[in-house]
Amino acid sequence: MRLRYDDSVEAFRAELLEWLAANRPSPAEMAADPSVSTGHAPAWARRWTRTMFDAGWLVPGWPPERGGRNAGPVETLVYIEELAKARVPRTTNVQGLGIVAPSIFDYGTDDQIRDFAMPILRGQVTACLGMSEPGAGSDLASLSTRAVLDGDHWVVDGQKVWTSGANYADFCFLFCRTDPDAPKHKGISILLVPMDTPGITVRPLPEIVHPEHPDLNEVFLDGVTVPAANLVGALNDGWAMANGSLAHERGMVWVSAVMGLEESLDRLLSEAPMLLARLTPTERALAVDQIVRVAIDTQAARCLGYRGFAKLARGGTAPEQALMKLYASEARQRVALVAAEIQGADALDVGSVAMDGHLAVDEPQGTWLEQYFHSFANTISAGASEIQRNIIAERVLGLPRG
Amino acid sequence: MDFEFTDEQLLLRESARSVLESACPRGLVRSVYDRTGDGHELWATLVELDWPALGLPTEHRGLGLGYLEVGILVEELGRAVAPSPFLATATQLVPVLREAGSSFLLADIAAGRCTGTLAVAEGGSWRPSTVTTTARHADAGWVLDGVKSHVLDGATATEVAVVAKGDEGLGVFVVPRTAVTAAPRSVIDPTFPVATVTLDSVPVDGERVLVAPGDPSAPSVVERAVQEATTAMALSTVATCRAIFEATLQYAKDREQFGKPIGSFQALKHRLADCFLAVERATALAYFAALTIAEDDDRRAVATAMAKAAAGECQRLLTRDGLQLHGGIGFTWEHDLHFLLKRAKTGDLLFGTAAAHRAHLAQLLGLEAVA
Repeated sequence: MRLRYDDSVEAFRAELLEWLAANRPSPAEMAADPSVSTGHAPAWARRWTRTMFDAGWLVPGWPPERGGRNAGPVETLVYIEELAKARVPRTTNVQGLGIVAPSIFDYGTDDQIRDFAMPILRGQVTACLGMSEPGAGSDLASLSTRAVLDGDHWVVDGQKVWTSGANYADFCFLFCRTDPDAPKHKGISILLVPMDTPGITVRPLPEIVHPEHPDLNEVFLDGVTVPAANLVGALNDGWAMANGSLAHERGMVWVSAVMGLEESLDRLLSEAPMLLARLTPTERALAVDQIVRVAIDTQAARCLGYRGFAKLARGGTAPEQALMKLYASEARQRVALVAAEIQGADALDVGSVAMDGHLAVDEPQGTWLEQYFHSFANTISAGASEIQRNIIAERVLGLPRG
Repeated sequence: MDFEFTDEQLLLRESARSVLESACPRGLVRSVYDRTGDGHELWATLVELDWPALGLPTEHRGLGLGYLEVGILVEELGRAVAPSPFLATATQLVPVLREAGSSFLLADIAAGRCTGTLAVAEGGSWRPSTVTTTARHADAGWVLDGVKSHVLDGATATEVAVVAKGDEGLGVFVVPRTAVTAAPRSVIDPTFPVATVTLDSVPVDGERVLVAPGDPSAPSVVERAVQEATTAMALSTVATCRAIFEATLQYAKDREQFGKPIGSFQALKHRLADCFLAVERATALAYFAALTIAEDDDRRAVATAMAKAAAGECQRLLTRDGLQLHGGIGFTWEHDLHFLLKRAKTGDLLFGTAAAHRAHLAQLLGLEAVA
């Protein structure tokens, strides 16, 4: 155990920082044309992705032909931290780069890699992830969007919901039922579906705060034809791939969650003198205790992240990540609530979102109360906190299924 | 930050655990509770295995290992609920000697001939600023007067380090236990025996004056030594909590009601997941604090307070849920669970409760000065 990294890691960091300083998109450029959805890549974001790809900085852990430099896990961790510190998003299309592209590399054909994954890495297209349905949320395996093979193409009918970025994405990594007679986990397949295919209707779902920038969507599929060659991996093997896809997401997601948490805490600590000055001594003591608790939570999130990372780096299992997902998202919620409550009735004022170019990226936005409501995005999506507790109990602690 | 233990550290943990499994079975703990034993055979075994020498410098017959290694032994002792002078000697007396730059007693400690403790608390507070025990100049040395509370092993340790206040500020002295009046308190956990130590015109001179009042390093010696002791108490407490967690998890898998293991019910699953999270959270913060001490990082004050606060918060959940989920059997004297529960509770209440450390953090984070 050590607080500091090896010299080789520090050399990696120095090289990255130097490259970033010379090549990063400017805050002004980002603010002038902000990304308004996780499927939306403004011109600067497309250029930036391409620049990172060409220089081997897009996914450092991958080989050069896929935009990387064969970096190790510790270097990758440093990379994610430094990008977040510099307030530069790796991509505005987080699910495309983080889940869809790696899944296509893992399970797709050479043609699919060429036509779908590589264009994501080059900043040419964005992707969304078609998983949840009105009747299949936490119980994802009960999804009912049907795909029927008809000669050389599939015909898809059904409905997806909570599809982030579908209002801008170029294609969808779509989970559908291909064998309705098989047990629910064994009849699911994945198709790559261009979003401009006739029969697809996207209806944005304005969110609980900032309804002017919806990221979530309903996606209606009505007789949508998809080439047979767009089937990813083996037929009816989609559930196993779904678990693989989400593992891609969980590996390092904690870093940005922790940094978002730290940013919220820093903001709270800087506002604290002003907020506390208005309180009576007793109120102040109670408020200070709440602030200290979230300060401990924040440091704990970072340390827990490193602890889980140490396990992951030596080949531990992905379910450990459920712990970080659960903890960081709930801690984030507590910070915002603590701050809003200390603020009192002033917390009711509606703020304007500072459009600094990465609305779509995992960063605290808006007033404390808005942040509080928005924080439920993280405790509900990608496996609600209750599902994370089940995963921890069953897969990490080995408790029997109910 | 790298939170991975080295192979040597993992090996040390493994061997410590296996030593304690045979030398400190629950039956030994029970004998201490029943007052039919005091754990002296265990201490003889640990001395034979060089445990007291582990963290001491090699020039004083120590093994020259660092705070992380001492911490591993502390965790294993906490896990085993071991009655042992190790914690007070290695994480309370030794740090104050080292911080004062003194080699006094070290060779005797390494050889297991001397045990010790640190008398800093008064009236249940571990903040050095609340010390009222006095140190007066007299002849060639000093004379100490005052009452120290909750001194771990205070009635049995060979040597007692005392934090006292002179006109010029805090000082640290080490006095033989025979020179003080140590009244053992009747406490809920006899494996963590504490005593009230009364100093009635106790003379100290020579090398027993570790840091004299007025020495500019005195406040930092006290603060740093207390940080080591506090973080060690956090490590011990979290390890005990992990043992509670493991026992409770096993019980939830074994105990059947309504025809299935109670651990298959979601109400219990979610509580166990939260307990696991609390243990992991407190472990992570305790390791971070241990790292800041091992590497003398300037975040050590904040890290120590966070570690002890988190250990206390963890203890609060684990003693409650550990007992509740064990049901009636955990409520009995015959079951071993209560040894763990009482040790965890004691660990929170010694060297500052979670609330006391959060209050200290308020000061360190600049929140207390706000008016």
